[in-house]
Amino acid sequence: MRLSPARLFITFTFIGLSGFGGVLPWARRALVEQKQWLSSQEFNALLGVCQLVPGPNIVNLAVCVGERFGGVRGAFAAVGGLMLAPMTVVILLALLYDHYGEFERVQGILRGISSVGVGLIAATGFKMLKDELTYPPMLIVIAISIVIATIYQLALGWVVAITLPLALLVAWRKAR
Amino acid sequence: MMIGLLGLFIKLSLFSLIAFGGVNALLPTLYDISVNQEGWIDPQTFIHYFAIAQAAPGPNLLTVTLIGWNAFGLAGALLATLAVCWPSCILIFYLQQVIAKLQHLQWKKTIEYSASALAVGLVLASAWQIAIRINGNWAAYALTIFSILFVLLSKRHPLYLIGLGAILGFFGFI
Repeated sequence: MRLSPARLFITFTFIGLSGFGGVLPWARRALVEQKQWLSSQEFNALLGVCQLVPGPNIVNLAVCVGERFGGVRGAFAAVGGLMLAPMTVVILLALLYDHYGEFERVQGILRGISSVGVGLIAATGFKMLKDELTYPPMLIVIAISIVIATIYQLALGWVVAITLPLALLVAWRKAR
Repeated sequence: MMIGLLGLFIKLSLFSLIAFGGVNALLPTLYDISVNQEGWIDPQTFIHYFAIAQAAPGPNLLTVTLIGWNAFGLAGALLATLAVCWPSCILIFYLQQVIAKLQHLQWKKTIEYSASALAVGLVLASAWQIAIRINGNWAAYALTIFSILFVLLSKRHPLYLIGLGAILGFFGFI
């Protein structure tokens, strides 16, 4: 199936604008359930590949889907659609913040939202953790990386360098 | 200004290259770079921008957009966003083709499994570190823990939570 850049742009604009509290669930809903461009398995496999590279996963997903259905121009269209409208919204909100950010009530609202926001990040982590329960030895790898990063507060490079050999070893056995 | 913009672009591009598990997984590192090392933004504004990016629709990486906006206005916002996106866009474009061709199934799976395990560890560690930085009192921690349970146990939209956080904050509980 081939799709025009315009169609990819519009679809990803809708995905970006509906993505309150994380875009990924909305991308899945639009691409798998509504448009049916991808099957559920194809979506998971694609997302797995997107998580292999550093950087924002949802943007990586837009590149993959855009490229698959519309080539290089499709990839640009999908990423542009995903980013442009939300960027406009967030900059407008920042302008409002410049005017009203001093008020104690406004600061209170933002404090409340960030406490929720960090909970959303943690919840995503726990959901991802659930998938790892299918092979419990991997939990050791995860526990070690958390301890190194939080208790010993080592820089990320060290966390990856220390954890990666064990991670590869356990993953090799899991893949067998 | 030009030097500053160039520095922003390069620093955030490098940040993007190490951001396994997404931008939020490395939020503490982003905080360290933009508050402590470069002074693009003060600690309080960083936390407020994080909240604005969470409350607005769109990808989590919008926190980065706002950091650029705070330091250098519209040009900063555009360049910061571009910086955090382009390295992974190019990597994934080629990696997708390589992986499609990769024949040895066990190697392919080994790479995928270890990457996903590392990502889980980084996301959880990041949430922990960010919670320590932003939560000022016990009520804030209670709200964070409630948010985690809400997402894990309920099917309702997280937007309800953001509304709840805003209301509790408005009345001065957080």
